[in-house]
Amino acid sequence: MNYLLPVRLDRLAREYALGTLAGPARRRFERVVRSSAAASMAVDVWRRRLSVLDLAAAPVQPPESTWHGIERRLFSGPNQSASTATPIGGALQALRVGMEPRFDALPASYVGVLLDPVGKAALVASSRRQGRQLTVKLLQPLNVPAGHVAQLWALPKDGAAPFPVGVIYRATQIALRDLDSRTLHDLGLDRSEISSIAAEVAHIHAELGSAFSDDDGEYRGHLRSFIPIPRRAGA
Amino acid sequence: MPATESLPELLARVALRDRRAFEGLYRATSAHLFSVSLRILRNEGRADEVLQESYVSIWHHAAGYHAAAGTPMTWMINIVRNKSIDLLRARRTEVASTTEIGDEALNVAADSAGEPQRLLDDSLIKAKIAECMGTLSSQQRQALALAYYRGMVHTDIASALNAPLGTAKGWVRRGLDQLKSCLEAAGVSGV
Repeated sequence: MNYLLPVRLDRLAREYALGTLAGPARRRFERVVRSSAAASMAVDVWRRRLSVLDLAAAPVQPPESTWHGIERRLFSGPNQSASTATPIGGALQALRVGMEPRFDALPASYVGVLLDPVGKAALVASSRRQGRQLTVKLLQPLNVPAGHVAQLWALPKDGAAPFPVGVIYRATQIALRDLDSRTLHDLGLDRSEISSIAAEVAHIHAELGSAFSDDDGEYRGHLRSFIPIPRRAGA
Repeated sequence: MPATESLPELLARVALRDRRAFEGLYRATSAHLFSVSLRILRNEGRADEVLQESYVSIWHHAAGYHAAAGTPMTWMINIVRNKSIDLLRARRTEVASTTEIGDEALNVAADSAGEPQRLLDDSLIKAKIAECMGTLSSQQRQALALAYYRGMVHTDIASALNAPLGTAKGWVRRGLDQLKSCLEAAGVSGV
């Protein structure tokens, strides 16, 4: 059966999202969703529609033992420090606390968060494999106008013109090895720069911007701060 | 539904293995997610089990969240719904081959999670599409509510509403078509 015929896909997606798709058909379609972006998107569309049915749901507080059970499953015991932590602050502060960078070891990778104009996390960019690949995840919709694409831009530290790094569509992986060594340095992903970045986490080493580019690649929109955070080696 | 201002940030930090953010996410969302599971499973013990499994899954898969899946709450609700539906159907299969179903927590579910159709109607009012959805018959809206809130399949709905299977399928299909039309007319793409 060709699950990806538009009419059939929409019917399966909505029955799956609603829950009325059952038995082996449900399992088969789950496999299709895992392997097909079109199927995954079709399910997402219906889940968003159906989510309005949760607007009036009255919350029911679970027993406190539920949280302890989750902690036992994940961490083999309650985390006292987490329970007595101070309230959550800005994204940078939270990342500082949460990542606990080890300054005595060379980090294997980086995580950076792009903030929107009001300071909320909008995009996570992480680099593993010794900085040869940048993985980008969207945390909120970019609301890209029709006929445009969302383009990740790099702003060189030396004040040179911004240049495009890659088009962002949902989760994206960008091969940084295609960029030259000067670019890597300016993005703060050059391994030779890791020590200095790790020593001063709050230092904004470079800026990346989530902005729109039109068909001829012209830069439009606002750059936003990109804060490179050293990630614990092996994390 | 709880306020969602900080959920994207919390989830982003959970993706970075921040345990403090994970507890914050749990405190902000667990009551809502527990009610989702309770409505489907109608048993506190099993809903508790699903809730724990769901947060374990959220911890492991937070990095897989993407904005196209809806809000973080929508993404998490679907994790809980899927696990609840899986457990409900696995348990039905198991119970059918051993003993009769002991629905020991019906009262809890009825009181604390709300009746399906009332919940549907209230949600449609909040979504400002109640008038548009009002063109559906009561049975059509009830069929949609039983599917979404109780995890019922078409045969369950047909039995519950004392209707032929084909009729029940038609009610659900018509309900979904109308929901889509009403949301598009209202310019709502989902919360």
